Amino acid sequence: MAEDKYNLKNPAVKRILQEVKEMQSNPSDDFMSLPLEENIFEWQFAIRGPRDSEFEGGIYHGRIQLPAEYPFQPPSFMLLTPNGRFETQTKICLSISNHHPEHWQPSWSVRTALVALIAFMPTPPNGALGSLDYKKEERHALAIRSRKAPPKFGSPERQKLIDEKLFVAQIHEYMLSKAPPVPQLSTSQPTKEQAGNSDGEAEVNQQDSVTVAAGDGMPNQAEGDRVLEEEPAAPVIANADPLPAEMRLVARGFPPPVFTNQQVQRPQTRVQKSSDDRLLTWAAIGLTIAILVLVFKKFMKSSGHGAVFMDGS
Amino acid sequence: MQNQEGAVPDGEKESAISIPISEFDDWTNFADDDIMQQQSAIHAEEANKIHFVGDKEPLSMLAAEYESGSPILLEKIKVLDQQYAAIRRTRGDGNCFFRSFMFSYLEHILESQDRAEVDRIKGNVEECRKTLQSLGYADFTFEDFFALFLEQLDSVLQGNEDSISQDELIIKSRDQSISDYVVMFFRFVTSGEIRKRSDFFEPFILGLTNATVEQFCKSSVEPMGEESDHVHITALSDALGVPIRVVYLDRSSCDSAGVSVNHHDFVPTSGDHSNATSGSTEPARPFITLLYRPGHYDILYPK
Repeated sequence: MAEDKYNLKNPAVKRILQEVKEMQSNPSDDFMSLPLEENIFEWQFAIRGPRDSEFEGGIYHGRIQLPAEYPFQPPSFMLLTPNGRFETQTKICLSISNHHPEHWQPSWSVRTALVALIAFMPTPPNGALGSLDYKKEERHALAIRSRKAPPKFGSPERQKLIDEKLFVAQIHEYMLSKAPPVPQLSTSQPTKEQAGNSDGEAEVNQQDSVTVAAGDGMPNQAEGDRVLEEEPAAPVIANADPLPAEMRLVARGFPPPVFTNQQVQRPQTRVQKSSDDRLLTWAAIGLTIAILVLVFKKFMKSSGHGAVFMDGS
Repeated sequence: MQNQEGAVPDGEKESAISIPISEFDDWTNFADDDIMQQQSAIHAEEANKIHFVGDKEPLSMLAAEYESGSPILLEKIKVLDQQYAAIRRTRGDGNCFFRSFMFSYLEHILESQDRAEVDRIKGNVEECRKTLQSLGYADFTFEDFFALFLEQLDSVLQGNEDSISQDELIIKSRDQSISDYVVMFFRFVTSGEIRKRSDFFEPFILGLTNATVEQFCKSSVEPMGEESDHVHITALSDALGVPIRVVYLDRSSCDSAGVSVNHHDFVPTSGDHSNATSGSTEPARPFITLLYRPGHYDILYPK
């Protein structure tokens, strides 16, 4: 990639190139990160919201800045996608990032840091710098929104960089293909978007025809396609490109994902589970309303001043 | 040690100005950079005072330091003066033990041209590499540091294209991009050894910090600038198979029989024997001698 441009004798460059290689040969479903074409000290990343949290299914983009002294000095992280846990465009305060430079150690890597970042998302912010403490519902809504399109970053001039935009869009699609849809919040009523999601999920049932080879598992492409179908708001570049996300990542040096039997099954069970959940939620809501009505009626009768009450309201 | 409170005027100016969103490309706009800048400013200041590895000084320079100080220390320095010819100071940045060890070891190889010793330590380094791999470290996280140490080792052996002289060794040892990498190599080796033999090290670590072996390695061994004590020294000496003598210069007073200076030899053990303090089985006197003053290590040269 950038081998010719950089001084390979520079230890930081050497190390960073090794990390790029490692990142490419061991892709993760939970995150993706690569340096920008023009500067290997600046990386774009996207992480998947952690499971069993209000961030599940969300795709959060961000930037990593590696210092010239890397790996002796820690990388800095900032998120670009509104998420309700960290302020966007603000360096993140993690014990692994440079808010606490003394805690960083050279045996860590961009990969370690991203894993830590994901783990930090559901933790209480405790007033840490750059942290947000949004309600679950708000974070959930942001998770749904996060899937629609990658965020913009930087000045208008910077946004004109087509390559960078394409790159970010590719990362977004890759993550979409890996991230399961946003599940509904167990405590709240389903929203419109969620209804839309489950419609999409229904289609997955018919789409388990993806063929199968042994090897490291990646979830299936059907999911990625579905997401594009159900979300017309996805960026134009993404829709216009005829290649599936995986193929384009291959073009950038990403190994193609391999599908396994096991993982193709996964969306199905998930669909089952989430529609069950939905039924139960509705039933619970119905019951609650019925009980409330009864109680209210009784209250009106027994206190005998229903009329006054009505007038007052 | 390092004063975190010192002001860094440059950084503060920036963070005070509110920044329009369009300029967020510029990563230097954030308050944390102030901290980082401040740190490096402190380091730079420290660097002006003393190199990572200083020049060889006669032991009388040490005495001069305590001229108006504790009489016990002066007495002890007199005793030291009978056995040791010179001292070489290292920078007090928390890495002094490792830097002292590095210079002292490489200097010994340079002077002795002991190829057998080089072959031996390379075998141990290979073992350390395997240890780290088996502990689950990703290769790329330590391999640069290993490579750099082996490069230094080869360069002090004469007759190669890249062979270096004593002066060049000093220059290299003062080069941050080399010195820090070698320090980090030692930290990896130390951490790997402690984790590998966690049962052996656990009681020492518990007595020291009340932390688990894992926590100790994470917080006190692997991060740069964390000071070393006997746990680190034992682990490094064992892992590399290099005996180390540490001479203690502190205020601990002696009985009326006279002033003496304590020392402890860290003799590498293969297997599960514990460290012996100068027993009769001890093969030879360690060729690395360090002077310990509370919180700091320097290099000592015997007469």
